[in-house]
Amino acid sequence: MASQPTTAERISLLERMLMMRRFEEEVLRVAQTHAYVGRQHLHIGHEATGAAVASVLTPEDLFHTTHRNHGYLIARGADPGRALAEIMGRKDGLNGGRGGPWHLCDREAGFQSTSAMVGGSVGLAIGAAFAMKKQKKKAIGVAHFGDGTLDEGICFEAFNMASIFELPVLFLCENNAKEGQRPSSMLAAKALRDLPAALQIETVVVDGRDADDVRAAATDAVARIRTTGKPVFLQAQLERWPGSHQLKPEFPTGVTDLTLAWEEGRIEGKHADWTRAHDGIRLYAKKLVAEKATSKEEILALDRKVIARIEAARAFAEASPFPAPSTATDLAFA
Amino acid sequence: MTVKTYAEAVVDALTGMLKADPNFHIIGRGILGHGGHEHHAHALQHDFADRFTDPPTSEGATASMGIGAAMAGCRMFVHLGTGSFSLEAFNQLINEAGVAHSMSGGQVRVPVIFHMYHGLRGGGSGQHSLSPQAMFANNAGLKVMQPTCPRDVKGMLRAAIKGNTPVIWVDHAALLGQKGEVPDEDYEIPLGKADVKREGKDVSIVASSRAVLWSLAAADLLAKDGISAEVVDIRSVVPLDEDTITASIRKTGRLVTVDESIQMCSVGSEIAALAAEKAQAQLKAPVARIARAAVPVPFSPPLEKAISPKPEMIAAAAKRLVG
Repeated sequence: MASQPTTAERISLLERMLMMRRFEEEVLRVAQTHAYVGRQHLHIGHEATGAAVASVLTPEDLFHTTHRNHGYLIARGADPGRALAEIMGRKDGLNGGRGGPWHLCDREAGFQSTSAMVGGSVGLAIGAAFAMKKQKKKAIGVAHFGDGTLDEGICFEAFNMASIFELPVLFLCENNAKEGQRPSSMLAAKALRDLPAALQIETVVVDGRDADDVRAAATDAVARIRTTGKPVFLQAQLERWPGSHQLKPEFPTGVTDLTLAWEEGRIEGKHADWTRAHDGIRLYAKKLVAEKATSKEEILALDRKVIARIEAARAFAEASPFPAPSTATDLAFA
Repeated sequence: MTVKTYAEAVVDALTGMLKADPNFHIIGRGILGHGGHEHHAHALQHDFADRFTDPPTSEGATASMGIGAAMAGCRMFVHLGTGSFSLEAFNQLINEAGVAHSMSGGQVRVPVIFHMYHGLRGGGSGQHSLSPQAMFANNAGLKVMQPTCPRDVKGMLRAAIKGNTPVIWVDHAALLGQKGEVPDEDYEIPLGKADVKREGKDVSIVASSRAVLWSLAAADLLAKDGISAEVVDIRSVVPLDEDTITASIRKTGRLVTVDESIQMCSVGSEIAALAAEKAQAQLKAPVARIARAAVPVPFSPPLEKAISPKPEMIAAAAKRLVG
């Protein structure tokens, strides 16, 4: 079993989560205030899972994510200024403005290619794992995806190949399915894990709201993948953030107020239940204070530091020019 | 130089790269088809067993595995079977392999060859006879190769494997038994260079893949009638060697295009457009296009034969242009 995280590791985890949250909030502000062509697929509400999994990977592990990728890029250390510049289509963006919000990619942070084709990450990650195995490296492939992805046939094919070829790959499924809402998984199989399990892949289900639980489960899963060379399917149970599929940039649950971690009586509004029971950041801050791992003041100071970094990132992105039209046809071929 | 078959030349290229690059891997079974040439690959599959992966019948994930591995530093040769089957992986080829380099701002490279057999093959019927070269050419980020002779396939395949770009390799099973002189040493033929397979002065026949063989046969027929036909083997659909093709059209003033695509938006149509754009002043006659009839390929042998381009058909078209 995974060892207990140190207090420093837990604070670092919270900081990572705050970076992810404040970054996405900045994306919303950009979308509200700029002539902006992209669409927001924000990772809000998934931070406990994302930060915890990212914290147990090495920089060599090769990660494939989806249109809901921003959180993972930030969690693995991509520069928030260049990430925001990419979302705004600027020259200094991670992809030079050629990818946009669905396709943030940072090779140095361990991302190979970010596919918005549903199921794309699953197929590509077994290739990353194939390469790591053939090159006899300890690194693994990681496929991040949502529950709806399991509706795609490529998952069945890729799970099967990972299983029969014993490929070192983590299938990280964020299950934020909400009954009665579309789009999400429409599988006849009611337990998502039944699909990989039928193909002899080990499955683990974890409460995706709890960063400590996810960290422990991910630590064990990744260690087993590295030791056995075989895939593991890790399913994080999450409650969908009310703004998850928004058409207009809005803050349905408001700008995150960390004091609600210890002033629960002030939580109100239409989406109070999500904030109270499903916001992994609020829950983690509350837990760290309750366990006296840190203080309210230290958490708020950490948050201010994070906000300052994101504000600097916004300034960097806004100062970056658009790419020159004369470069539009560059890079067709390597 | 040694006289070898096309299949042996393919094996030569793969062997050379398996020896040269420990990161070169082959995924797929039946890379030399199922028509009597398979044995040429047996020794290779035995000697480099750890470099061959025999995948399940899952074209999408097989292509994806090749793409992901290539992004991670391997060089990959992925055999997808027939051109028809490549559609099972069309999403991966177009939306992943083709776009990754540009979409990542140049951070990612995808050195994969997607190998397939296209065209009429005898009994292929409606789901094993597709010629997808034009469909692949109508995308960005993918090179599309169609070599014809043993010497070319060996040199082009080596160049493609050593390149950093995804390549759609549209082979024809009917070429596997073709014999020709092949240099014994390893060599590369740059991708994107056409080759004049027969020089002539009266009419240019511009073709690819198996259609080059039909065109050469047509040139023999035309010679008997005193017509001198030039046969240009484009070898590469993308990039297209506009200079070599245009030079030939300007020289002869007449153009017949031949390929196995359906005529609508075919490779031949692109070459006809090239003639209109860059050699209009030299054209002495309208352009003629020879392509496969636009009908799902019928099974019955006389019906399949009826829809296929043939040397007689090409020669007749050329004669009409010469007048």
